[in-house]
Amino acid sequence: MKLLLLIFLVQAVLLTIYLPASQGTVQPMDARLIEQTCKQTPLYNLCVSILKSDSRSSKADVTGLALIMVDVLKAKATGTRNYITRLLRGNLKRDVRHGLSSCADVYNAVLEADVPVAIEALQKGNPKFAEQAANDAAIEASSCERSFSGHSPLTKSNKSMQDVSSVAAAIVRLLL
Amino acid sequence: MVVSTLLRSFSSKHEDPAATLPSSTTPLLYEPRPGELDLERRWPPKRAALVVIFGFLLLALFLAILIADLNSDVHANGNVSLATSGSSMASEPLKLVSRGVSAGVSEKANRVFACVNVVSFPWNNTMLSWQRTAYHFQPEKNWMNDPNGPMYYKGWYHFFYQYNPNGAVWGDIVWGHAVSKDLIHWLHLPLAMVADQWYDMNGVWTGSATILPDGQVIMLYTGSTNESVQVQNLAYPANLSDPLLINWVKYSGNPVLHPPPGIDSQDFRDPTTAWYTSDGKWNIAIGSKVNKTGITLIYSTEDFKNFELLDGVLYSFPGTGMWECVDFFPVSNTSIKGLDTSVKGPGVKHVIKTSLDQARNDYYAVGTYDEKAGKWVPDNTTIGLGLRYDYGMFYASKSFYDLHKGRRVLWGWIQESDSEIADVKKGWASVQSIPRTVLLDTKTGTNLLQWPVEEVDSLRLTSKVFDKVEVKAGSVVPLDVGTATQVDIVAEFELDKEALERTAQTNVEFSCSTSGGAAERGALGPFGLLVLADESLNEHTPVYFYIAKGTDGNLTTFFCADQTRSSEATDVDKKIYGSTIPVLKDEKLSVRLLVDHSIIESFAQGGRTCITSRVYPTKAIYGAARIFLFNNATEASVTSSLKIWQMNSAFIRPFRPEQDH
Repeated sequence: MKLLLLIFLVQAVLLTIYLPASQGTVQPMDARLIEQTCKQTPLYNLCVSILKSDSRSSKADVTGLALIMVDVLKAKATGTRNYITRLLRGNLKRDVRHGLSSCADVYNAVLEADVPVAIEALQKGNPKFAEQAANDAAIEASSCERSFSGHSPLTKSNKSMQDVSSVAAAIVRLLL
Repeated sequence: MVVSTLLRSFSSKHEDPAATLPSSTTPLLYEPRPGELDLERRWPPKRAALVVIFGFLLLALFLAILIADLNSDVHANGNVSLATSGSSMASEPLKLVSRGVSAGVSEKANRVFACVNVVSFPWNNTMLSWQRTAYHFQPEKNWMNDPNGPMYYKGWYHFFYQYNPNGAVWGDIVWGHAVSKDLIHWLHLPLAMVADQWYDMNGVWTGSATILPDGQVIMLYTGSTNESVQVQNLAYPANLSDPLLINWVKYSGNPVLHPPPGIDSQDFRDPTTAWYTSDGKWNIAIGSKVNKTGITLIYSTEDFKNFELLDGVLYSFPGTGMWECVDFFPVSNTSIKGLDTSVKGPGVKHVIKTSLDQARNDYYAVGTYDEKAGKWVPDNTTIGLGLRYDYGMFYASKSFYDLHKGRRVLWGWIQESDSEIADVKKGWASVQSIPRTVLLDTKTGTNLLQWPVEEVDSLRLTSKVFDKVEVKAGSVVPLDVGTATQVDIVAEFELDKEALERTAQTNVEFSCSTSGGAAERGALGPFGLLVLADESLNEHTPVYFYIAKGTDGNLTTFFCADQTRSSEATDVDKKIYGSTIPVLKDEKLSVRLLVDHSIIESFAQGGRTCITSRVYPTKAIYGAARIFLFNNATEASVTSSLKIWQMNSAFIRPFRPEQDH
């Protein structure tokens, strides 16, 4: 009887430890590189949560982590660009429409210039161009935010882009 | 019943047929019947069944863990190609705190703008097309970066460069090519080398030329292989009797150098021009890093096909990161001639220069080369590589010995400092500096003097002289030269001596980059020129001197260029650049500015300190661009004498066989 109870308790404990592992998240060992890397970025928590929720990070070196962050940057830019497109279909005041058009250009530039340059630079081993591209993405997001004379419908998206860009740039800096 | 719920969901995910689960109504704990707590008795059937069930559950648990592990493996390998850099995180703690100006590292200010103007995209074609330069080298369109393989051959100066044929941002890099008779009037030729081999498929990167005594031309360059490994390759002209050197052949045995043991496959690039040694061999240098220590490797060769890595390094400096575009050359400390790369002996010092990836600046120092030991030692060992060729936008520079005129000439890559969206809109990015002669400044012994090659003077058209213009404290004086977007300015400044004596000392430390720019008034400065300024001074770029009197009564002079008010656009660089500049007793303050649309090259004290600025005004363009003298000092008045020339275009264009020979 006591033996059964013991087995049961052991199982319960093991399950609570290993169930999360079955979803493919990071093992405690690999978390060290992520934490060390993220400490060198301006937004530690954001950096860690992005990297830890990407299963590729468990096998990645610093270049790999940078590539993951650029991927997230790309996803956010794509999402924002699509959101802008949807907004533009609606009935808008002239100054808002004007601002959104500028922002569409901006996010297109991020996706057509900054992201491919960052990826190519990281993969081919000339990381400074990736740092510049990531910094540029943050600047572009600021430009977008400033293109609204009144309220900006993209404040959250732009802030998110700036945050991810600054983290990506900081990770790339570690490779220089 | 949390555990049972967990178990059920567990099993449904992993469909393990071996697991049999109790239903939610079956109690998991065996309730002992009275008198049956003795384990040595035979177990009743119910208990046995429960033991079996738990056994299966344990099995299921372990299987699930195994499967989870396998899943994450497949997921990682299948989705992303993670470039293996092989470099581990540095074992020493990584500190991103700058070592400070005294250690030769300038502050990197972030490009964070105070949102004053809500201006959405002022860029239109008029503004953008104005930015193109008239007499600085740039290709007809697209992206350019590092200068490559500059040399003089059979009557032509050759210039190669990193080029993206597909867009106005970095990528798909190949070698562009241009020729000129005078380093100013350039004619574009077809691409010299493209990425057509496995060993340079991912980039035909930077390299240097060596001209051998027997007339052979050797080009060593870095290739990024199909696996993104950095290797060195040999190329040579297909036809040495073609003065234009249009076609190039890559050596069939390439690559000639692979990254050596201990060097990361992506930290091995930019081979230098070779120098001849006393033991009859040629040496080249290649920059790299080990952890965060920047180093320079030396290789020895007799045929440029087989190389031997020499022990140790030519020089290294901790904490500097990757060394790109290393340059190593001799300078004379007795004459004003340039020296061939192989020269050594008495009256000769050697310069090491490196482009620091981390700082995006070019650093150099003067020192002594011990050929036998394969080592170079800087004259000032505390600072190491403390001086910069240029305190503005200037990177990946490369020098060569010009056999035609016996001088050492320096090229520097001048990037854009606007946003990439603007570069994509205007369809191009980057220019080269006007080639500069390089000489040791024998008066200070520490600095190099850089000066625009004399051929640039051939672009001078009409001029205007201003003699002893007095600029009182806190005033601005317009200089009427008409339109001022393509001008060459030579100016001298004299501060009123009485103010110099009378001014109080201060212990406040000044630096160009952390100051309030030209608008921040001090007793003895700032004063200088306002260029690319519109009539109402809404936009202007000050290039100026600032004199500080330290606690010991000594004067320190600073030379700065302030981009904070250079443009009303909000997405351009608005930092202040500059440095201290040694000014010797009885030297007047002198400056030369080459203004060419969106680039300003400034040289102080004969080129002892240089600042290159990229500016993008929106109003102070075309006919609206003006020049002013200004003096924002509180105490001293300043007298200035200047000569200003309008500059012609260099008409840089494609080579036309019928016309150009």
